[in-house]
Amino acid sequence: MPTFKLDGREVPFEPGDTIMKAAWRQGIEIPHYCWHPGLSIAANCRMCLVEIKAERPMLMPTLKWDESKQDYVPSDKPKLTPSCQASAVPGQEVFSQSPEAKNAQAHVQEFLLLNHPVDCPICDQAGECKLQDYWQTSQGTLKRKHTEPVHKPKAVRFGPTIVYDGERCIMCTRCIRVCDEVVGDHVLDMRERGNKNEITVSPGRELNHKYTLMTEHVCPVGALTSRDFRFKARVWFLRSAKSVCTGCSTGCNDHMDFDPRKNQIFRIRPRDNAEVNKFWMCDDGMLTYHRVHENRVTQGIIRNGQAKNVTRAEALGAAAAALGKVSGANLAVVLSAQHSNEDNQALVRFAKEVLGSERFHIALLGGWEGDNILRHTDNNPNCAGALAAAGGKASSMPDLLKDVASGAVQGVLALGWASTEDAATLAPLRALKAMVSLSSNVGALTEVATTVVPVASFAEMEGSFVNAKGMAQRFERVIDAPEGVKPAWQTLADLAKAMGKPLSHAQPTHAPALQGGAVEEARS
Amino acid sequence: MEPIQEYEDENSLELPSEPMHLHMGPSHPAMHGTIRMVLELDGEIIRKVDVQPGYLHRGFEKSCERGTWSQVYPYTDRLNYCSPMLNNVGFSLAVEKLIGIEVPERCQIYRVILGELARVTDHLTCAGAMAMELGAFTPFLWIIKVRDWIWDILEIETGARMTHSFGRIGGMAKPPTEKLKELVRNVLPEIDKVLGEVNVTLLRNRIFMDRLQGVGVLSKEDALSLGVTGPMLRATGVDYDVRKATPYSGYETYDFEVPIGHVGDTYDRFMVRLEEVNQSCRILGQAIERLPDSGPINVDDPRVILPPKDEVYTTIEGTIAHFKLVMEGVKPPKGAIYSYTEGGNGELGFYIVSDGSGTPYRVRCRPPCFINLQSAGPMLVGDQVADIVPVFGSVNMIGGECDR
Repeated sequence: MPTFKLDGREVPFEPGDTIMKAAWRQGIEIPHYCWHPGLSIAANCRMCLVEIKAERPMLMPTLKWDESKQDYVPSDKPKLTPSCQASAVPGQEVFSQSPEAKNAQAHVQEFLLLNHPVDCPICDQAGECKLQDYWQTSQGTLKRKHTEPVHKPKAVRFGPTIVYDGERCIMCTRCIRVCDEVVGDHVLDMRERGNKNEITVSPGRELNHKYTLMTEHVCPVGALTSRDFRFKARVWFLRSAKSVCTGCSTGCNDHMDFDPRKNQIFRIRPRDNAEVNKFWMCDDGMLTYHRVHENRVTQGIIRNGQAKNVTRAEALGAAAAALGKVSGANLAVVLSAQHSNEDNQALVRFAKEVLGSERFHIALLGGWEGDNILRHTDNNPNCAGALAAAGGKASSMPDLLKDVASGAVQGVLALGWASTEDAATLAPLRALKAMVSLSSNVGALTEVATTVVPVASFAEMEGSFVNAKGMAQRFERVIDAPEGVKPAWQTLADLAKAMGKPLSHAQPTHAPALQGGAVEEARS
Repeated sequence: MEPIQEYEDENSLELPSEPMHLHMGPSHPAMHGTIRMVLELDGEIIRKVDVQPGYLHRGFEKSCERGTWSQVYPYTDRLNYCSPMLNNVGFSLAVEKLIGIEVPERCQIYRVILGELARVTDHLTCAGAMAMELGAFTPFLWIIKVRDWIWDILEIETGARMTHSFGRIGGMAKPPTEKLKELVRNVLPEIDKVLGEVNVTLLRNRIFMDRLQGVGVLSKEDALSLGVTGPMLRATGVDYDVRKATPYSGYETYDFEVPIGHVGDTYDRFMVRLEEVNQSCRILGQAIERLPDSGPINVDDPRVILPPKDEVYTTIEGTIAHFKLVMEGVKPPKGAIYSYTEGGNGELGFYIVSDGSGTPYRVRCRPPCFINLQSAGPMLVGDQVADIVPVFGSVNMIGGECDR
């Protein structure tokens, strides 16, 4: 692989790489705002200027301060090059830390802050803002211009998800490019020039495609803020866990940012994975964390005419009694494409060893539009994993309703809250001898269940999903489950005990070997 | 000791020939600090000493790895709490060396003034305590009176009598007060007067001299091989003072001398400390004459020193500087350095490692007390039990620094 020298260090690069991209691959950061590995090159922020050694450097006339003469004297300086745009050339020597390069970076940074409002205390980006980072690494001086800064529109509603602040914007055009290049929807553009320069939405449009939150994600400053996250938390209080999106079968890698003091998730950020989601996620996926906190089942429910909240132990007892009344041959087990491999495999084992049932069905969530960017038409994170857990032999929910109608099925044990069918369609299940639901959230399946046992959501356990490509991806536990609530695989072990048939050996605490492909370690 | 029952037959009664083991401390009114000595005694004669520190361990060095570099200052206050200002300055110099900055001259002089005031209190505390432990309570009270005068000055300057936390990376928390010069100028002759009285009372006292002279002798070779520094080393005749050997904060420009002893006994250590007080007063006299009334006290770098509040509230650069310094702290470049200064008890060193973040990767303190403490064993063997108190007192072990 050819190499070039960056600040004295050999940097290998692939033909076609720019200096910036080759350095980025090696984990070396050259200060930059407008460049993004997933977007085209704009080279408009001028932060990444570097000095490239040449035999006959192009020199520009300039004035330099002469200490002895106490005056400016004519001099010259090498012309600097934006490293995001300059192709890497074998053997060339690049300096991003030379006095001239550092001087340029300091002054570009000072220019960018020239009219910046004093917003850090109220800005959501504070703490992860490039303007703050590069002030410290590249500028480090106080303000020299003490006149009134230029004012621009603030808190402009761009659409249902994004708010724009013109004064904070540095015009890097990343948001424009993400709409153009990732989504293919030219809904944002820049208007005016100089002091009036601002980002604007196409006339008659709103920023309302499926990937609007990506504009906020790529914004290096606090100009674009997500209405979902705005003013909710300060980022330095948040910790991050590596997770996998449950929005659809693509299985985008993400960071779940949570506040450990409140045991609450505040946002999802995409986690780079070149083989799955590159750098991006869709809006619906970014908002799936709400499910962890909304419409949760935290107590057992027993429906005997009318619903009654009971403890988890009482619910387990009621479930065991109900399931005991039905013979294994007449019991159907519903796997969940929303639950992890671990939960589904435990349920299959429970069905075979404790219930003696071989009737497997998979409940799927519907009502979703796919596209050819990231969104898979199947909006269940683990359809492949659930199917693999059942040995590839599982039928659908309509089949289950047919079996119920025919009387072949007299009891159901269902995992999860998600199903395409609404409660009215599933109503025949109410009349069964046993209708037990193990669920983290309220859904159609819990509404028709006579007994509901609470279980932990995916964010409250570690496990793995198998995405549509057959990649098994591990996710970490993010927060603690509500008090007393355990993951479904543990709940099933408890249920087996309650039925007097404890499972033959302890359940695994980690993801066991999977059928749907090798477990891919979580990436950073 | 064997039980007495074994000697029921009076004819066979003999004095026990086995050595007696005695544990002194960790809580003993005559022990300096929380420390234990396991003694092997042959009658009154000490045959073996095992000094066991560790009763005051707070995990200072580990605690430093949690906060920012600036948040280390309160910990340094509690090293040698007889002279916290010297520790503050020592740590400041270490981090400044790592960053590669030098404070303005006014700050250097201010640091010298406050540091020498602290050194005076440190030496006086040691000398006063020794007099008291040998029964001379009056000179002790006189000396403590002097210490209080100096503490009054330090309180006016820093806001606290002992734990000042007054050092800053790249400067000091505040510029000198207007009163400082006058206060120091007034206190110097008073110190001299009281020390003269103390000298008359103690150094003409036969009992006091007998208890010090020829007791607890530490040879030059032993001192050097044990790594002893400070007044203890100088009492053995070695001319080593960090202020002279590798000057910092402009000490090379002051006219002062390094007193040395020639026997290395408790008396020499006592006298070296008293003379160092005089020399510190000389330095103080010169420093207050030099101290400019105006000028910058902190380095001019908003990445190190918090910007003025009006800049924070009205400009984005000021806000960012404040935010970064408070939330993430000063970020020294990646690397490690060892920086050392003359503390109250000897060479106070900080070996600090930075990983480039705002939090120290490692703060290792070379505490002079801990290393000086090793000499207590060789010094005490052959002396009497009653000599432990003055000899160990002359080591001036400070638990906070020894155990950290």
